[in-house]
Amino acid sequence: MIQREAVSIALPTGVLMSGALGLLTRSRLMSVSAEELGRQLLVERSGLRVILVRPADVPAYVDHGAADLGIVGKDILWESPGYHYELVDLCFGACRLVLAVPDASRLDGPETWPPLIRIATKYPRTATAWFEARGQAVEVVQLHGSVELAPQVGLVDGIVDLTATGRTLRENGLRVAGVLGASTARLIANQASLKTRTESVQSVVSKLREATGDDR
Amino acid sequence: MPGFRDLLPAEAEVLREAQESLLAEMRRWGYRHVITPLVESMDVLDLGLGVDQRRRLYKFTDARGDIVALVGERTVPVARLVAGKLRGAALPLRLCYAGPVVSTDEARFHHRRETYQVGAELIGASGAVADAEVIALAARCMEATGIRRYQIDVGHAEFFHGIMDAVQLPDDVKGGVRAALAARDFVTLESLLEGTPLKSAEHELLLRFPALRGGPEILEAAGGLVRNRRSEAALSELGRVRELLIAHGIGDVVILDLGAIRDFDYYTGVTFEGYGPDFGRPVAQGGRYDGLLARFGRPAPATGFVVQLDLVSEMLARAPRPPALPRLDAAVAWRGAGLGTALRLGSTLRLFGMRAVVDTEPRSQTEAKAWWRAVGAANLVHCRGEGDVAWSSDGQRTRNLPPEQVAARIAGGGE
Repeated sequence: MIQREAVSIALPTGVLMSGALGLLTRSRLMSVSAEELGRQLLVERSGLRVILVRPADVPAYVDHGAADLGIVGKDILWESPGYHYELVDLCFGACRLVLAVPDASRLDGPETWPPLIRIATKYPRTATAWFEARGQAVEVVQLHGSVELAPQVGLVDGIVDLTATGRTLRENGLRVAGVLGASTARLIANQASLKTRTESVQSVVSKLREATGDDR
Repeated sequence: MPGFRDLLPAEAEVLREAQESLLAEMRRWGYRHVITPLVESMDVLDLGLGVDQRRRLYKFTDARGDIVALVGERTVPVARLVAGKLRGAALPLRLCYAGPVVSTDEARFHHRRETYQVGAELIGASGAVADAEVIALAARCMEATGIRRYQIDVGHAEFFHGIMDAVQLPDDVKGGVRAALAARDFVTLESLLEGTPLKSAEHELLLRFPALRGGPEILEAAGGLVRNRRSEAALSELGRVRELLIAHGIGDVVILDLGAIRDFDYYTGVTFEGYGPDFGRPVAQGGRYDGLLARFGRPAPATGFVVQLDLVSEMLARAPRPPALPRLDAAVAWRGAGLGTALRLGSTLRLFGMRAVVDTEPRSQTEAKAWWRAVGAANLVHCRGEGDVAWSSDGQRTRNLPPEQVAARIAGGGE
């Protein structure tokens, strides 16, 4: 069998980072502070290499084999499905991808939607597929930040965005009119790593799985 | 154009050499080379390809208004050939092919839309001996390109079909299970199966799917878990194939992979994938597809594989010791009456199998040395007149020798 030294795992910056580091500590794989990892971006200790990348880049690192494993939000996987194994629901970083409209809007369920609905989102692929599955024509405006602003200035009818507590939506005068899906952090694996380095990769996977509370 | 690129000399040469090595190995096993067109009629491709594969094709209409497509793989064209122009040829047929394929889906080939494939098909032979032949050929093909460390994962489509037959689940859940497995999404798979009240050994097997791999012990372990004829038959066939692969001399690179997730609608029996070191994707893949030929009107069992040629050359380039690129053996410069000598010397060197380039314009000794360095040849031969030749070699002083001696010494490997 083909072997290589360290098992590598890609962690995301942002909201999932602390949960991911906590999981690594609980699983006794590596204890590394956010500061250290944030400064070095790549930390290798006792057979495990941790690399810190942007959330949307985690699938790319894993799919190309630059990382054997990755921790990433399901929302990212919806938007960029790739050629990896999705192994474990890590159960942290829970949030929902929702359709949100201004409080004053008469839009709500599908029966209230106009013939062509205009939506701003950072998730164009997921949003388009969701509306199309419901027979709804949709015009998607892809934005890269401050999506909440778009309906307020009349750019779109509503937004499709992630929300954990709903606070940002409320603060921007938006309410939830539909749920596209629920997201949590997932453990993904490169297809070849599972096959060519089965033992070392599987041992990391089971430690992470145990630390998640799933002892199957 | 995104997804398409040029291959410059160094890359093109590695790719070409790998292609030649693969085809040569296939010929050594009695596989005959066929060349099928880059374009196929959609009528043909519709017969052989699944919905997703058809969607990824570059389609256009030809001058007569027929819809045609650029091929995305060559197994279907080969099947058309075997059922058509080769209808009279006795089975089994051993055929191989090489060429580019294109896909509109960038993600499929990692942002490449045009890739190079070399493949072999054994058509008209069923059973473990034929399966093992094709797997052993795939293994020797990987070696022939210069890949030193590799493994071949061998699985069986019927093992999965048997489980799906036996497992007690409503049809819509089964559909979900297939979709989740196709997407390699074990989180969804788990929640689907957890939501169903019925539990069985097959149920448990589905959850443990990706971990069902290893040596011969895995067959026994799985045999203790399945309770259906299809899966049991698959396991015993895998055991037989494994024995034959040991006889082929490649037992130590074979890993049994019951959890292999492949296109289960297409493959009907033994499947396999070849992996190289530290490379995120399989470089060779194939298996048994007994249903395809019947769609072209000549029912026949078949098995085969393709090698992803660009992945092979990428892997070789990344290896600790990349393949030595064939170097130009001799740069032949000349001035004045030396041209005739230069041309004759060039011919002689090429007769010896050397790579020699003869300059297109006269040069002085200094100019010739600059040109020599620019073309990067191992030797410089400067023909200064009829029979007057100066020979310089890497790390050697320049010497005057008769032209025929220079040619003999270069061909003989220097000193």
